Amino acid sequence: MSKRTPKQVDTSLRQFIKDLGYISGGAALLATTPWLQSFTPDKAREIKNEKARIGFIGTGSRGQYNLHAVMAIPHAEIVALCDIYPPNLKEASAICPNAKTYTDYREMLESKNIDGVIISTPLYLHAPMTLDALAAGKHVYCEKAMALNMEQCKAIYDAYQKTDRVLYFCVQRMFDKKYIKGMQMIHDGVIGDIVGERCYWFRNHDWRRPLPSPELERQINWRLYRDYSAGLMTELASHQLEVCCWATQMVPESVVGTGDIVYWKDGREVYDSVNLIYHYSNGVKINYESLISNKFNGMEDQILGKKGTMNLATGIYYLEEEAGGKKSGIEQLIGQIGNKLYASVPAAGPSWRPETKENYTPHYILEGEFHVNDGQSMVAALKDGSDEILSAFCQACITGEKGKNIVEEAYLATMLCHLGNQAMEEQKQITFPEEYKIPYMKFS
Amino acid sequence: MGTRFDIVVIDQERLKSQEIWDDIVFELLRLNNIFNRFGSTSETSKINRQAIHEPVHISPEMCSILRSCKSYHTRTLGLFDITLDDFSKVFIDEKENTVIFLKEDISLDFGGYAKGYALLKIKDIIYQAGVKDCFIDFGNSSIMGIGHHPYGDAWKVSFENPYKQEIVLDEISLKNMALSVSGNTPSYTGHIIRPDSKGPVNGHKAISIIAENPLDAEILSTVFMIASDEEKKQIAENFTIQHIAEYSL
Repeated sequence: MSKRTPKQVDTSLRQFIKDLGYISGGAALLATTPWLQSFTPDKAREIKNEKARIGFIGTGSRGQYNLHAVMAIPHAEIVALCDIYPPNLKEASAICPNAKTYTDYREMLESKNIDGVIISTPLYLHAPMTLDALAAGKHVYCEKAMALNMEQCKAIYDAYQKTDRVLYFCVQRMFDKKYIKGMQMIHDGVIGDIVGERCYWFRNHDWRRPLPSPELERQINWRLYRDYSAGLMTELASHQLEVCCWATQMVPESVVGTGDIVYWKDGREVYDSVNLIYHYSNGVKINYESLISNKFNGMEDQILGKKGTMNLATGIYYLEEEAGGKKSGIEQLIGQIGNKLYASVPAAGPSWRPETKENYTPHYILEGEFHVNDGQSMVAALKDGSDEILSAFCQACITGEKGKNIVEEAYLATMLCHLGNQAMEEQKQITFPEEYKIPYMKFS
Repeated sequence: MGTRFDIVVIDQERLKSQEIWDDIVFELLRLNNIFNRFGSTSETSKINRQAIHEPVHISPEMCSILRSCKSYHTRTLGLFDITLDDFSKVFIDEKENTVIFLKEDISLDFGGYAKGYALLKIKDIIYQAGVKDCFIDFGNSSIMGIGHHPYGDAWKVSFENPYKQEIVLDEISLKNMALSVSGNTPSYTGHIIRPDSKGPVNGHKAISIIAENPLDAEILSTVFMIASDEEKKQIAENFTIQHIAEYSL
């Protein structure tokens, strides 16, 4: 399991930046994605002979995915593993036999041999573990979403303002080439003014893991219980709401929504169906929908512009002017007259019927091969930016350089998730609370 | 009338063209308010709601429309029928300007009539404005070529097979003529019904009719979808038709 495959070597941040430079002309891109500025090939050379000493807190499925990814990073070394669930710790230790194992993360944080920790634990543990790790002087990488509630998010944000430590959250779309290039095109005006955003994530799965024994229900299926998880919003929507704000370069000022348990009535406490409308001050809205008892629509982050539509998850965009495929008969006739041509007009036929949807010509954001997340895996999607953001974190553990915008983006995305949950729970429109606004956010 | 309307007017200054367009839009909206059976305020809706119970007072224009429908009903051997059932049960009192239905469950549907009638009205607007050359496409199925194309001696239109796009079934030249096409399409089939048997026309078939009178063309293209060969022969004798073609798709 530990040997490096060619695919893993390719995920190095250096190659990633090289690819990005190739697709979009380097410097201009880095200006619009400041969190990538520290990861130029020159910087990579500076740290060539150094290794970040990394400890893992949480070695379940996502933790093990991260473990494999970090093992493929030349400038990282895994020195410690911690989990309270013995089977997971045992599996991780088999992957990484040289790392010291712990069952209490606080004990692990006392080790002087660890530069940074990677936290892949249930949501309710993100805040205490992140805050403890920062207080212990560790650099921290934590899975999304940021924390279980707004107070905890703010506490982490405030702690981050005071620390000189590096803090990353897994906002991996910020490191996904399709998204980076797609956003650059959006901001260059390819799809015109943004007039709407539609994001959805559909699965047909109960979101459960098999239980070795019934008393482990809450520990294993933590996603289903409100004390441990904020449900679909933090697990799925957080990525997509971040993308919406990235595109508009604004934060919605309010949200309404409804959430229900429609199908999986198995004792869970979180919704299996959510529909929300986030409202920006300029009237643009994010329409968000997630349902886990039908997967027909899959997953998409769709930015609607006056001149086109960007489907970021599938990496395809469409232009309004190309709608309808071929031109109508009357347009062809006008073209003919303009060109002094006399030809027949393909106009006649059985009655014209209103179209429910026109055909558009697809254009790919990236040339050549790229990976599309079908949204169905509960663990990870191939090449979705997760590997690159981990590599970036490990580099930052060596240089001590904070990642620009990353904590801020994670904070705003997670706050929007919690505001959405509040709107659904209280059945009313929730306005972004003043006390949770941070200088990074633009509301108009 | 639930469809789109396109017109190309030749040799008119911009302002004059805009006036003609405004007049056409006004006329189409006016007619829509007569014929639209889906809108509760149209005259057709009012008749359909009330004529079962008592004689309904109608506008002089509606009275003349119903008279014309009656005449087409006779000339098409009963196949053109705006009730899709039994037009003889629509009693028009021309003295009192009223209409009453003598049978329950019937209603008026001008679907096979309205576009042709509208084209007659638009033809008047065009001629009165002094336009000599123009091309009108009313929802693909009703076309009128007045005068000629600036670089040709008529207006040429082609007709694609709706089931096999890119295959041209026919090319038709229109000079002061109207063309009407009826048929089934992959997404819209079985919408033409024979009033006596109530059976829909299924199968892949289309009819094109060219006539000087756009209303004649409109009515006959639908009637010929349902008529037998013998009926077609008889009906054709009652009209002045330039060209009839039938296509199996």
